[in-house]
Amino acid sequence: MNGARILVVMRKELRDSFRDRRALFSIFFSAIFFPIVITLMMNRVADRARDADHVVIPVVGAENAPALVNWLQQQYGVTIVPGPSDPEAAVRDKKVDVVLVIPKDFAERFKASKAAQVRVVSDSSRTVSEPVVSRVRGLVAAYGGQIGGLRLIARGVSPSIASAVQIQNIEVSSAQQRAATILNFIPLMLMIAAFSGGMQIATDSTAGERERGSLEPLLVNPVPRSIFVGGKWLAATVAAMLSVCLTTALSVAQLHLIPLEDLGIRFGLGPNEVIGMLAAILPLCPLTAAIQLYVGTYARSFKEAQSYMGVLISMLMLPALLSSLYPIADRPWMYPAPIVGQYLLLTAFLGGRSPGWLEFSLSAGSAIVISLLLVRLTTRLFQNERIIFGR
Amino acid sequence: MIQVSGLHKRFGAVHAVNGVSFTAPNARVTGLLGPNGAGKTTTLRMLYAVMRPDEGSIQVDDVDAVRAPQTAQSHLGVLPDGFGLYPRLTAREHIRYYGQLHGIGGKALDERAAELITLLDMQEIADRRTGGFSHGERTKVAIARALVHDPANVLLDEPTNGLDVMSTRAVRVIIRRLRDQGRTVLFSSHVMQEVSALCDSIVVIAGGRVVANGTPDELRAQSGHENLEDVFVALTGQEVHR
Repeated sequence: MNGARILVVMRKELRDSFRDRRALFSIFFSAIFFPIVITLMMNRVADRARDADHVVIPVVGAENAPALVNWLQQQYGVTIVPGPSDPEAAVRDKKVDVVLVIPKDFAERFKASKAAQVRVVSDSSRTVSEPVVSRVRGLVAAYGGQIGGLRLIARGVSPSIASAVQIQNIEVSSAQQRAATILNFIPLMLMIAAFSGGMQIATDSTAGERERGSLEPLLVNPVPRSIFVGGKWLAATVAAMLSVCLTTALSVAQLHLIPLEDLGIRFGLGPNEVIGMLAAILPLCPLTAAIQLYVGTYARSFKEAQSYMGVLISMLMLPALLSSLYPIADRPWMYPAPIVGQYLLLTAFLGGRSPGWLEFSLSAGSAIVISLLLVRLTTRLFQNERIIFGR
Repeated sequence: MIQVSGLHKRFGAVHAVNGVSFTAPNARVTGLLGPNGAGKTTTLRMLYAVMRPDEGSIQVDDVDAVRAPQTAQSHLGVLPDGFGLYPRLTAREHIRYYGQLHGIGGKALDERAAELITLLDMQEIADRRTGGFSHGERTKVAIARALVHDPANVLLDEPTNGLDVMSTRAVRVIIRRLRDQGRTVLFSSHVMQEVSALCDSIVVIAGGRVVANGTPDELRAQSGHENLEDVFVALTGQEVHR
């Protein structure tokens, strides 16, 4: 009987919200907005990565080192153009990404086998120009290495004598892990979907219900308060889950349209990964719904509830922010922490690792326990006359 | 039948209801009359069990409403102050929602909703969302919703407040009909005419106390005034300006 009535309350709240433009917006917002953002950002990154293969290098003083310029021109994808009259200003004003300046004394020093200088003018605060700048640096260094080697051979010395220590780069992060750092905002996005999806229902069915005066007649029905709270909680949970599933589906579909190969990323988001990510994030929905329900009931008005929601949503950013400042390895004790646990699970999936059952159960279990606790606390608020009739 | 005895409710330093006792018998319309702020709404809220009295007892039929609020509520149909409708639900959906909360379902609920819609003459608005309803139409929806479980006792808090003449008449007809069906009807009002037009007995409340209780004739005799309005002023006048 009580179980059936929880569903009665839930159905009513869902029906009511699906006729509410604001509630629909909060459910579909992330599903529509985030795939667009992903596309724009990833395409931009992909374009830039392609740019590094095909670089245009403005050179000032090309006549001072015709051999170097000639060599550069022969390299794959390199185009040499005359440099601007004021290289520093041109870079600062973002007219060009990089300028190669060859001073007048280059040829003189080069002939005397002294270290001949070239200047690479760049702006390191502009991350977008970084691939181009490092390509130019690499090219010039390679040229220097070749010439140096030739000079040693001409003097009968093996070039390997000059390099006492040789660095061999071994990348341990898989291609997918590198992709995960780029796709770092996907966990954040899913958490925002989990939060925003149920927000309108939770606020409208608590603070809104009281504000429009429908709470008092509702409570005249012979139904325990816990049933009302439970039904409203389930409704907000369903909406949040719906939002998460839609956002995931549309984002994954969108990712398949992005030229990730250009980034050197093999990004396999197969059905298993998608299911894993959903399993990681969905238990957060009852928790966000329970938090919103409590806050909505506690707030004196709809407006007040909404301003609390703004503060809460910014808390979702914390784990992502902290993990970028302090790159911490995950430990089992971190999984039960709400939001942090989900964040770790999602990053693991995006990095191509499958977390174990323990991690899953810790994160999901604690989210559900905390949400049940919050539902009980909300029920207690519903029994408080000062809350019901306003303060 | 509703029996109230020694009811007290305090909000901080304010003693809103200060020892209210009365009986509202079956098949009678009992009016709770008093100026604004007299404690009518608080008294009714304790009767329909959304507030707990600090002291005193409430019997709804055979049920102790303080000990078993939900059982008492299932014997009550309530039209609270301010109807509190959901603007995005239709009239019929309102009736059905409350019916389901009372545990009615299936065919019985469909029939009951149709019956109430006919009874309150709201066939034309039954499947429209209540967002654009007039005050009178909203009153009808709230009344239909309160009666969905066929309660033996009906409580109405200022039911005709803000209604035009036609809607007021319609509400009066409904109240008389409920009485003639043998139900206990208790309604509150601060309007003398309302009470005198409808009530079989009147409980006058002022300053959280019952200052008079009886049939309209008894009240006239008690106070020595012919006009009920004078009776009202004589009984509550000083309390209002306190």
